[in-house]
Amino acid sequence: MTLVRKFLMMGLTLLAVVAGAQAQKASSDIAVVTNPETPVTELSLADVRKVFLGERQYWNSNMPVILLVRAPVAREREVVLKNIYQMTESQFKQYWVAKIFRSEAVSAPKIVYSADMTNQLLAVIPGSIAFMDAKAVGPGLKVLKVDGRLPGEPGYKLH
Amino acid sequence: MGGTTPEGHETYPNLHLRGFADVDFSATNIKGQPSGFNLGQFVLHMSSPLSKKVSVFGELSFTARSNQYSVEVERSIVRYDANDYFKLSFGKYHTPVNYWNTAFHHGAWLQTTISRPEMIQFGGRFLPVHFVGLEAEGAIPSGSLGLNYNLGIGNGRQTPSLLARDGDAGDVNGNRAVVAELFARPTQLFGLQVGASFYKDEVTPDAGTAAVALGPYREWIASGHIVWSRETPEFITEFVNVHHTNIASGRDWNSQGVYTQLAYRLPGVARAWKPYYRYEYIHVPATEPVLLVPNLSGHTAGVRYDITDYAAFKVEYRSSRRSPTLRTDGLFLQTAFTF
Repeated sequence: MTLVRKFLMMGLTLLAVVAGAQAQKASSDIAVVTNPETPVTELSLADVRKVFLGERQYWNSNMPVILLVRAPVAREREVVLKNIYQMTESQFKQYWVAKIFRSEAVSAPKIVYSADMTNQLLAVIPGSIAFMDAKAVGPGLKVLKVDGRLPGEPGYKLH
Repeated sequence: MGGTTPEGHETYPNLHLRGFADVDFSATNIKGQPSGFNLGQFVLHMSSPLSKKVSVFGELSFTARSNQYSVEVERSIVRYDANDYFKLSFGKYHTPVNYWNTAFHHGAWLQTTISRPEMIQFGGRFLPVHFVGLEAEGAIPSGSLGLNYNLGIGNGRQTPSLLARDGDAGDVNGNRAVVAELFARPTQLFGLQVGASFYKDEVTPDAGTAAVALGPYREWIASGHIVWSRETPEFITEFVNVHHTNIASGRDWNSQGVYTQLAYRLPGVARAWKPYYRYEYIHVPATEPVLLVPNLSGHTAGVRYDITDYAAFKVEYRSSRRSPTLRTDGLFLQTAFTF
């Protein structure tokens, strides 16, 4: 093998590793997904936080926000707790107990146990919103831009 | 009752029930008050959506007395949500005249400390704990400032002898109490809440007493609070001024209450522990004719240990001085939980 061929092979290998890492990064982005009828296509990260904290409870006068949150251990939940709620698992549980007790919310987010279940509920519940691995989003659902970016685009913050 | 169908659709009503309870131990230097255990409040909280936009909240408390339990309807609220900016409700509330009163209600587990600040004790006279009437609340379009309002009108306090009781069965006079609250929860500073509230009412003297000749008193309560609810640290401070004017003579009195509480959730393996300290102060003029509350300067120090996500153990030392010669000290233990 000539030296040029060796360099070419090393270059291709490096390219494959970099491309793989990029693909891995894109797949690890967490998408903010809603029911297709939800009257919103884009939210700022601050607005996503307001929605998931239960501070914003209506998309419009006729459509309440329905929060779907993955059960503990799912990666989506870890990302939500770290980036959106900025709470530990205990603080998250206590936050919703307190919020309901203060009559600020009538119930806690619905717990979903798989990506399939999230897709099914998002498809049928108007106003529903959830976090999902961008690669697992089902057809027909709406992926929101967050701070003007979709999952996989440079600068996307939820991963 | 009710819930979600397998297809994901809500059915109504959909009752959610949660309980709060606590068991306490106290030992003080108050003469005639033996040390020992007592059952704290047993509280049931109910919430239920009746439709997409109508929901009901209720709260019942069971409090141990020497020969029986007293049962109280602490809250009973039906609320119609027009949208995020306007929600109208009717019922019995915890008066939004003070942060602590609406943040922690009767759930001892929710609050870091064992005791409530003296200014907002259950059965206390300094501030009106409950309110029966209607409230309008919601968000104010204000961007990242996160402004919210709360306006209420209803039955306020009763006569001076029943000042701690609320007007569930009707007001004692034809003058409704009015309350207005404004607070901000900035989105960029999650955990911060800054707010102020105003409360106006009229207090009628007890029938058959000499005070009837003096006539009613106008009551104005103004309060402010700053809260940082993240636990590293947790900070709550409130100031209240209670103003009474005798309508006939024009003579007036101002009484003040203030407290500052600081707590810190320890890091790492010690994160179940949260030490805390609170200082509180109440000043009431000696001739104040309505409140009949002694002055107070008090310190509270303790530590909370969260046994699980839903149960905590607390140890607290309290020292308070109500006059130059009356000082009380006590050690208090509590386990508080929700279920």
